[in-house]
Amino acid sequence: MVKPIHRVTTVIKETRDIAPGVRLLRLSDPDGWDLPPFSPGAHIHIHLPDGLVRPYSLCGDAADRSSYFIAVQKEPDGRGGSRQVHALQQGERILVSLPKNLLPLTNAPHVILIAGGIGITPFMPMIHEMSRQGRTFELHYASRQSDAAFLPELEALCAGRMTRYDAERGQRLRLDDVISAIDATGHLYCCGPERMIGELLAKTGHMRDRVHVEYFGVSADVGQQAYEIRLARSSRTVPVKQGQTMLEALRAADVDVSASCEGGICLECKTRYLEGTPVHRDITMPKSERDTHLTPCVSGCAGASITLDL
Amino acid sequence: MHMSWKGIVIGLHIAPRSFLPMKTVPQLELVANVGITGDRYASEDGYYSDRPEEGRQITLFEAETLEALKRDCGIDLAADEHRRNVTTRHVPLNHLVGQRIRIGDCLLEATRLSTPCRHIEQITGKDIFEPLLHRSGLHARILEGGIIRAGDTICPA
Repeated sequence: MVKPIHRVTTVIKETRDIAPGVRLLRLSDPDGWDLPPFSPGAHIHIHLPDGLVRPYSLCGDAADRSSYFIAVQKEPDGRGGSRQVHALQQGERILVSLPKNLLPLTNAPHVILIAGGIGITPFMPMIHEMSRQGRTFELHYASRQSDAAFLPELEALCAGRMTRYDAERGQRLRLDDVISAIDATGHLYCCGPERMIGELLAKTGHMRDRVHVEYFGVSADVGQQAYEIRLARSSRTVPVKQGQTMLEALRAADVDVSASCEGGICLECKTRYLEGTPVHRDITMPKSERDTHLTPCVSGCAGASITLDL
Repeated sequence: MHMSWKGIVIGLHIAPRSFLPMKTVPQLELVANVGITGDRYASEDGYYSDRPEEGRQITLFEAETLEALKRDCGIDLAADEHRRNVTTRHVPLNHLVGQRIRIGDCLLEATRLSTPCRHIEQITGKDIFEPLLHRSGLHARILEGGIIRAGDTICPA
């Protein structure tokens, strides 16, 4: 199990259903201390009671340092994370990761947000911030009226900049219409079902550097592919998820690797590898050792797997 | 060698648990051979508390480094963002390993140079890991405890 000192300790201050099947949780420090800051678009990993770890976008205002808000849609047929979140009670302590942002808000002069269902969550902090800064943006929010989250808040914050698409009323979001209206400087953000994002990416190849997407809390960052670690001594296999470091994956699997700086300098975590091709990102290991050792805190993997002498 | 210098405390900072932002406070209570009352390493709630280290009871950081970060790298790092307990001025921290220093009425023994940690970038959102190499402060053991305050004199013991 992860050690509490290696995560942020929070207590659930409030749970509230904000739409059918969507529960909002407010997490704070047990003593009311400020929480580590986050930027709009960030997510945290929640450590659930039975050991599951799940990412959820932060959906509160980043200017509020006292709380993290997450909104979780219950997926009865999912892998279990959302059911466990919905079972959490006010007053329970929950460990969470530091916020990480794989969907940062740019300084573009105009921002277009497209949300499908619970994909609205990472956009809430962006809307708070852009409203506060007087920036221009527009929100296209596709969800059924009967289960759309945050509607009252959005109507107050967006003031005429939100277009709703309610399938129950026959209102379909036509991506072509939104994309064709974007000028040469606008940046497009999309978070929603895989099908929506796939269609969007297929239609925006001409402006790829201005398109930012997230699949319900996990970024589609093509620069960091998932791979697996094979542990030679214990004959175990540990998956490394997209956006996760080798060290984080080993820790999540209860593999004890001593580490200190976690920035590729101290070499405390230096580990022998036996097969595979590492991507060395440390800045201090002698070249003579790179054919045999890597640093799990920063090293990546150039293939589908790497075998460590662990 | 006895160096001749005299410095001052310009900021005092604590956090009760790992990762939490540091808060600047007007005074700190130092407990000999333990740490700082209310700080994460005295209560064994620090990120590295699973690797106990006697010489990590209090940490210090030079205000001059904050100014150098701004001057050389254009980075604004506030005194409560460097994650050490004491912000000093006119104290040559990198030269003090193995020496004893006095802060107000308290006595410290400098044990080792602090090294930067990647977490500081995660917490602050600023690219400061590499700029802080070789100037990330000083770890020390508390030999004589008491109250230290902003404005206290720091000098060789």
